[in-house]
Amino acid sequence: MTDQTPLVRIEGLSKHFGPTVALDDLTLDIAQGEFVTFLGPSGCGKSTTLRILGGFERPTTGRVILDGEDVTNQPPEKRHVNMVFQDYALFPHMTVAQNVAFGLELKGMGKAAIKRRLDEILSFLELDAFGDRYPVQLSGGQRQRVALARALAPDPALLLLDEPLGALDAKLRGQVQQELKSIQRRTHKTFFFVTHDQEEALTMSDRIVVMNKGRVEQDGTPEELYFRPASRFVAEFIGETNLLSGQMRGTEGDKVVMDWQGAILMGKAPDKLPGEGQPITASVRLEKLGFHAERPQTGNAVQGRVVGKTFLGSRMAMQIAVGDGGDALLRAYVDAETGQSVGNDPVWIGWEADNMAVLND
Amino acid sequence: MNDRPELFRGNRIFLSCIYWAFVLYVFVPLILMILMGFKDSKFIGFPIRSWTLDWYKGVFDNTEVLSTFGYSIAIAVLSTLISVIVGTWIAVLLEGRKFLGRSVMFGMTVLPALVPGIISAIAFRIYARYLGIEPGMGAIVWAHAVHNVPFVVLVVMARLSTLPKSQIEAARDLGADPLVSFIRITLPYLVPAILGASIFCLLLSFDDFVRSFFLGGYEPTLPVLIFAKLRSGMSPEINAIATVALILTAAIGIWAERFTRRMNKES
Repeated sequence: MTDQTPLVRIEGLSKHFGPTVALDDLTLDIAQGEFVTFLGPSGCGKSTTLRILGGFERPTTGRVILDGEDVTNQPPEKRHVNMVFQDYALFPHMTVAQNVAFGLELKGMGKAAIKRRLDEILSFLELDAFGDRYPVQLSGGQRQRVALARALAPDPALLLLDEPLGALDAKLRGQVQQELKSIQRRTHKTFFFVTHDQEEALTMSDRIVVMNKGRVEQDGTPEELYFRPASRFVAEFIGETNLLSGQMRGTEGDKVVMDWQGAILMGKAPDKLPGEGQPITASVRLEKLGFHAERPQTGNAVQGRVVGKTFLGSRMAMQIAVGDGGDALLRAYVDAETGQSVGNDPVWIGWEADNMAVLND
Repeated sequence: MNDRPELFRGNRIFLSCIYWAFVLYVFVPLILMILMGFKDSKFIGFPIRSWTLDWYKGVFDNTEVLSTFGYSIAIAVLSTLISVIVGTWIAVLLEGRKFLGRSVMFGMTVLPALVPGIISAIAFRIYARYLGIEPGMGAIVWAHAVHNVPFVVLVVMARLSTLPKSQIEAARDLGADPLVSFIRITLPYLVPAILGASIFCLLLSFDDFVRSFFLGGYEPTLPVLIFAKLRSGMSPEINAIATVALILTAAIGIWAERFTRRMNKES
């Protein structure tokens, strides 16, 4: 997949709104068939990127190459790109079938061909029964599927999705996430998904680009982002994590050795190695910490005392005070039985060096 | 239901008294007018000793009166068509855009609605003569159209401001150029507003006296005809004409009300 030419090539893209820099020199390739998610808080530049790809904004500088063609200055109607809008933007005066057929008509397809494609896409999204309904007569989830059907019908090279699950309630959202992912797999379409919801991004994406202040913080698979966050921003934005602030002691192979609360710990090295004695931060996920009665054989181990437990059903959230004054707190998830068996005696907390990432700060 | 506090003791009784006084004030004159149209005598006033439909027969037999109805309706329809096209156009130009002089343009657009009828009528009359436009249907249609444009602009702009931007973007995204997305998305969205404005324009034009009087030629519009007949004295014939006009406009008004309510329910 990576050896062929990319479907989308974004080159040095910037967008300024007056004095505000919404997007700052973004360069990125998107491969055919990828599910790419742009993730970040509001104002991070993810929506601006999406709107530039859709043709609704012109970049201040930079180019967008789609399928080998420079589309930077093409209006939306000329692009082989379709979008699922945040509010779905279904046309209220048209039925479901008319909405979905809209893009097909404008492509200049014949009546018979439109009918065929319409039947195909409506049954693909299980909307057969709703062709004659108006958008007001549909539920939120159904509307969302109609918006998807309408955007997929003209067979776009790239599908843009602008937080399309935001308007759904939590229960439905999980179900729709699975659906979206399976639709993407079955159609082999390239999805460009924008969201501020990290869970959504983790469940669906092949690749996540975390954005912050108009720049890319990290670009990788969900697993890479989760277990090897490159920066404090990514570590905190995605999932829950323990951030350990300590001092750089040196390196050992590909690992960094650090001093934290009087313990010597090892973690994976960041891209830019800090100098010895420099303050550094490392991230270790809550579920990677293990509880032991004796000092464990894991790469890292500290002694502490459990100061808080929260029962969460399938698991238990633990708070452990560590360090000389007991002023550093670690949080951990353990299964409920282990959690209950831990008493007030000092315990050993252990984790592997591979599960801790030292951050670029 | 009763969650609004009473302003003072007896507020409710006081308000209902005012309401019924208002209803009487509106309807008693109309009812009297309608009743007199059925009186079998040339003199308006009580008591009504015998009833007749002769005055109505007279109205429907009188080709002059009937053609006046037709003339007024034709003027109303033509002027409404012009106001709606021009007014919608201006609304689309002004709404949602920022440009230098926008507020001045908006102000000038709304101005004709505020100029007193008599003044604009005289101004039109002088200007028409200067341009060499003969008094008559063309001149009346022109004056009515200009006078009604602001109402169309206001109503259509209000509706247009509620059209989500994503609707147009979605149309563009699916391959519609700006013109096609206007025709297929914006215009259908504006239909209820355009219809409402049209009904209003029709009624304003049908009802207008001052402009029609100053700019009319030999053929009178309905209000001008009624005025002319009044000058030769009150007669139940006028009551009959007025009642027919009243029923006609009320019917249009009620139909429009029900129609827009249905449209609103659908969207």
